[in-house]
Formats: sequence, structure tokens, C-alpha cells
Amino acid sequence: MYGIVRFVCAAVMGLSVWVVTSAVHAQSDPLTTEELAAQISTLKQEYEERITALEAQLAAIKAEARSPVRKAPATAAMPVQARDNSFNPAIGVVLNAMYTEFSEEQSEIQGFRFGHESERPVEGLGLGHSEITVSSNIDDKFFGNLTLGLGVHPGEPLELELEEAYIQTLPGAGLPDGLRVKAGRALWTLGYLNELHAHADDFSDRPLPYRAFLDGAYNDDGLEVSLVLPGDLYKEIGGGIFRGDDTPFGGSQSGREVWSAFARLGGDTGPNSAWRIGGYFLDGEARNRAGGHLHAHEEDHGHEHEEEAHGHDEEGHEDDHAGEEHEHDYAEFLSDGMFTGDTRLYGIDFRHTWAPTGNARDRELILQGEYFWREESGDYVLQEEHEECTDPMDHSTCEIHMEDVTESLNGDSRGWYAQAVYKFSPRWRVGARYSRLSTPDDAELSHDPEAMSAMIDWTNSEFSRIRLQYNRESLTREDDDQLILQYIMSLGAHGAHSF
Amino acid sequence: MKALHIALLVMVLGASLPLPAAAQSPVRVLACEPEWAALAREIGGSDVIVHSATHGRQDAHYIRARPSLLAKVRRADILFCSGAELEVGWLPVLLQRGARNVVQPGQPGHIMAADHVEVLERPEVIDRSLGDIHPGGNPHVHLDPRNIVILAKVLANRLVHMDPSNVNAYHDRLASFQARWSDAMAGWRERAERLHGMEVIVYHKAWPYLLNWSGLERVAALERVSGIPPAAQHLAQVVESARNSGAKVIIRAPFEPVDASNWLSEKTAIPVVELPFTVGGHPEVQDLFSLFDVTLTLLEEVHDRL
Repeated sequence: MYGIVRFVCAAVMGLSVWVVTSAVHAQSDPLTTEELAAQISTLKQEYEERITALEAQLAAIKAEARSPVRKAPATAAMPVQARDNSFNPAIGVVLNAMYTEFSEEQSEIQGFRFGHESERPVEGLGLGHSEITVSSNIDDKFFGNLTLGLGVHPGEPLELELEEAYIQTLPGAGLPDGLRVKAGRALWTLGYLNELHAHADDFSDRPLPYRAFLDGAYNDDGLEVSLVLPGDLYKEIGGGIFRGDDTPFGGSQSGREVWSAFARLGGDTGPNSAWRIGGYFLDGEARNRAGGHLHAHEEDHGHEHEEEAHGHDEEGHEDDHAGEEHEHDYAEFLSDGMFTGDTRLYGIDFRHTWAPTGNARDRELILQGEYFWREESGDYVLQEEHEECTDPMDHSTCEIHMEDVTESLNGDSRGWYAQAVYKFSPRWRVGARYSRLSTPDDAELSHDPEAMSAMIDWTNSEFSRIRLQYNRESLTREDDDQLILQYIMSLGAHGAHSF
Repeated sequence: MKALHIALLVMVLGASLPLPAAAQSPVRVLACEPEWAALAREIGGSDVIVHSATHGRQDAHYIRARPSLLAKVRRADILFCSGAELEVGWLPVLLQRGARNVVQPGQPGHIMAADHVEVLERPEVIDRSLGDIHPGGNPHVHLDPRNIVILAKVLANRLVHMDPSNVNAYHDRLASFQARWSDAMAGWRERAERLHGMEVIVYHKAWPYLLNWSGLERVAALERVSGIPPAAQHLAQVVESARNSGAKVIIRAPFEPVDASNWLSEKTAIPVVELPFTVGGHPEVQDLFSLFDVTLTLLEEVHDRL
């Protein structure tokens, strides 16, 4: 028995050596004899290990045969089946839908321009954001991922968004230990939530600073390098260069107008608790940043103005109307204007997890917070209507022109949120969140937007979750009470979670 | 604003300070589970620094990819885990982000126990409705003592590869461990023979290797599908089958929820025994020898009571 095993192994080894040597001959730059020797010794070691394992198994089987205790079941050796689809990439789908109720008809925020991604969801029954992710190791050196977001907005065609399309170096790429390069379009390292797909959040919507400063998340096109440093404490530094087309930037001309830097520290505070903090910096230029959703906005305003003009006409107070033209509400420029200028974002984040029993699956408390500071200065352009009449007395001679009005304003502002999520049984979690923005001083608004959220969710398995969330958003002086019932389900491949 | 600038700068600089390089540093072993950490201590002795990613009361399937683990992967020379997708929820992230070359799959510093032994319970059908199943089979291979000795040898070979200067020390410790282990195994086998055929109810499918080796008979599982907490209807069925069978004991691991097994125990008057499952899972279990000693003692106590 041993003899046969040894013969087979020796034959396999001999064959492998032949394969290696012929491979070496085939290579354009041949391996040195030392490298060859090293390869052979690795092979030898591997086969020795297998022989050892086989010997031990044989010995165990023999011993078992003598003993009355049952022996290990002889499960048929599973041959590896190479099917056509064996090398298909992993495919994952996230299904997400909501039922919502809002107390206010409109949700606008004065002093900030919200983009498409950070608007309130549609009222009533509606599909949220579905996602398709395809990912795979490309070869021994690279990993690739493509994530498509499918957005459904009533009355609009299906919105297809390329959320991520990136490649990333694998540890086998030959880079020094701890170094990673990621290129393409990705949810870049910036704060805690930015790297997460929205369906992985603990709440149904992003907190205010993410909505106001990043339109949900920063996923520009670019390249990022990061390095995990050796040591007992987790330390990671990194930075990137980006195109500059995604909020808070836009209208990139050179195609490399943004850069970033970050540093993170982390560790344990006991056997069952862990923490991480980080500092982040993002700097670049914006040109005509609209924040998406320009059309609907303009139409709304045009309509309002028309009605006003009509009213004035009937009552015969054209003069009043004309007199108002040059008095500008700065908040309106910040909320609705297109921004051109320099913008810089600083952020810090913090996260602490504690599982009282050691098992996050049973019980866990997560505390998390982020603080952002935006430095922004430049020109805000607002389109305003101008009425020009050839004959001031005859209204039919008037024509309405759109005219760009520019204001140089300082858009510096701050925003933060803090949240706590507690899992009190394997399937149930409750959470509370508070988020707040400080409006730019130039907006001359006395009210700072704030939002409070409370949620409870039920998680049947790692792949399905149902959540009920209540928000009280005070973005203007009117409070908006929101109720959101949501499901999030994932099909197919399901990536591992980071901390 | 300046303060933030400075804080960022300090963080970046602080993080990038070079560490003093140690001359002949010991081999760093990161074990995913305490049983493999214990084995690494047996074979590596004072020539290794061993860390375990989980402790004896943790379910290794559900831990978080903590920053401290990322730091440990970044420095590890050997990564020693159960494999068979047990650590699939967190290890891939650590391997990718820690980006330590020598512990990547296929490298000499990468040991997955399930790759070296015969794996039980390979599913024939793979579907999520069956719960969080492991396509690679049941990963808890350490509860068969015959597997431990196989992995002791695998580990010794890898340690020699990483640290050839201490080859004799590793070989000596391996020989000593093998001798002590085969003595202990002979004793355990005798004790297991007395328990042969004893019928048990388990919570999670954590026990097939122990049952298979010791000859215990599983008559019901509290969790219908792995990874999904038991539902009421299923528990009613379990009560039925528990009453109809001659189950003598409900076995629970330290990390498994107490309520379902206690509830079943109340309904059926079958006692619950919390077995150590791994090193550190019981106050008296501090190494692999006491793991099997205490496990058998606890089972013998129930067996003899009836």
C-alpha cells in the first residue's frame, strides 16, 4: 500500500519537474538554477506533505479497522468538474424597494444644492435602487468589479448608472506587502459610508452631510493607492488622483483635477470590541456644478415666475416686479446656482463595535460618527428671467429672456452625523441617528438643517432584511415627518463585509 | 481649520514612522480559530508568536473583519484556518486589504485545515434556501483527533520552510506531540467505545467530526437550516422527534444561543450539555488534550446518569 502511494507520488513529482523545466525553457528570460532549485524544493515539500497526510490517513484507517468504533465514511472522491461556466465571474443582485409616506409635499434644503442621488425617495410604493454586481479575479495579479445601479423614477426612463467599474491589484501582483492599487470608477476611501453601497447602510437614507457634500457618495473616475503599515495597531495611509466629474466637483477639463489623502488607525479595546478612526482630505475644482437634476428644477421655477408675472399684469403693478429684479437672495444662489470654483473637503470618522458575548451575530452595539468640513469659494450662477418690452405700456411687446446672474460667495460649511445601532437578538436591530448641517454664512439663513432618524430592522439571514424607519427632517423651517418601509435582498454572490 | 490640517498631518506622519527592524524575529502565526492557535503553540513553542482571530466563545463564521486582524494579517508569516468557507465572511477582506504576500492562497504561509483532511457533509445541492451552507463541506474538522495529527505535520513542514534555522526544534516538538497525542488518542478511543451509539440532539451542524469519530448518533438538529435561527414550527418537529427517539442529551457549543436548547430541554426533560467545542470553550480547556478530555468527561457524565 505504502509502496504504491510512494510510487504514484514520485511519478507525479517527476512529471511536475519535467513540466517546470520545460516551462523554464519556454520562458524568454530563463530562471536561474537557484530559482529552479527553489521551485523543485517547494514541489518536493508539497508532495512530502501530501504523502505525510496520506500516511497518517492510512494509519488512522488501519487503526480504525482494528477498533469497533465506526470508521470515517468513505465519501467518494469528488472529481473537480470543469464545466463551461466554471470561470464565470461571481454575480450578485441586490433588490430593494420602499413604501414611503411624507408629511410635506416638497423636500428642499436651503443653502445647499442636493443632487439626484440624495433626494427624498418617491412617495408611496416604489422601487429604490437595484444593483447588479459582477466581480472576479482576472488572473493572479488583478481583481475586477463592475456594479450597475438601476434607478427607477416615475415618469422617467430607467436610469442606468455605472456605480463602479474598477480593477484592483491582488496580493500576488508582486507589489510590496500591504500595498494596493485600485483604478477605474469606485466608491473611494472617504469617511466610513462612502465605501459602502447604499444597501449596506444601517439606515434607509444617507445622513445629511453625505447628501449635501457628496450627493450620496464620491465615485469619480481615478486611481487610488493605499498602504497598510506593519505593526500591532492597524495603520493605513493612502491617496488618489481623480478626474473631477462627480459631486462635489464637475466639468473637469484636464481630467485630473482632484486629489485625495487619507489615514486610518484601528485596534481592539478588548476581546469583543474594536474601533477605527480616520482622517480624509479631498481637494479639487468644480465647473458649473449642478448636482444633477437640473431640468426639473428649472422648469418648476419658470412656471412659478410665469404665474407671478401674470398676477402682476392683472393687478397692474409691473413696476414692483421690475424693482425686485436686482435684489438677490443669496441662499437661492447656494441652493439652486451652478458653482464654479475651488472646493475642499476634510473629514474625520469614528466607529466602535462591541459584541457583549463575543458573537456579533447575537448581540452587538455599533457607534459611528463622521464630521465633514467643506471649504468652498467661487461663483454661483443662477439663471433669472428678464422681461424686455419694446413698448413699456404694451405687454404684448414684451419678451422673456433667460439671463445668467453671478454672485461670488463663500460656501464654507460643516456637517456631521452620529448614530447608534443595537442588535438585541439575532434577527432584530434598532438604531437612532442624528445629522446636522451648518449652512454657509453667506446664505444668511438663521436655520441649520437637521434630521433625526429611528429605525428597526429584521434580518432573516445574511441575505435578506426588512426595515422600518422614521425620519423627522427639519431642512427648512417646516418639519417633514417621513415613514419608510424597505426591503433589501441579495441574490447570488455576496461579498465579505469590511469592518 | 488649521487644527484639522495639523491633525491629519500628525496622523499621516505617525502612521508612517519606520519601526525598528528586529534581527531574527520569531515566526508569526495567525490562527483563525483557537484550536489551530493551540496546535501552533505545541509545534512552534518559543520560536513562534501565535495569535488567534477568535476566542473559545466566538462563532468563527460570524466575526467582523476587525482592523486589528487586518494589522495581524499584514504581519503574519503563517495563516492557519479551518477553511471550507468557514471564514468566508471576513478572511477574504483581510487577505486582500492586508495584502501580505506570503499568506495568500497557494503560498507556503497559507494553511487551510480542510484542504488536508477528509471533509464531511459536502452538499449535493447548493441553494440559499438551504441556509448558509458551505459548498466545501463541514469545516469543523478539528473535532476528530485523527485530523489534528495530520495538521501537526503539515504545520511543522511549513514552519521549517519559513524558519529553516530552527528545523531541529520543530521536528523535536512534532515528534513529542505525535507521541503524546497517539497515547492520548488510545485512551480517548477506549472511552469513546463506551459512548458508542449514544443518541444526541445538536444545535448547529458543528459536531459531525466528533460524532463520526466517537460513534455518537445525531437524531435531530435544532437549526433546520444552518445560519438561520430555528423557527417555531421546526422546533415543534424537533420536540416530536426528540420524544420519539432515545436522545439522551442536547449538545451545545459555547457560542450557540442558549434559549432554543433550554426550551427543548424543558419540553422533553432531556439534559443540555455545553461542550467546549474548542480550546477556551470551557474553563478547564486550555490546550488540545484537555479539549478531548473534557468533552469526553462531560459526555460520560450524562451517559452514566441514565
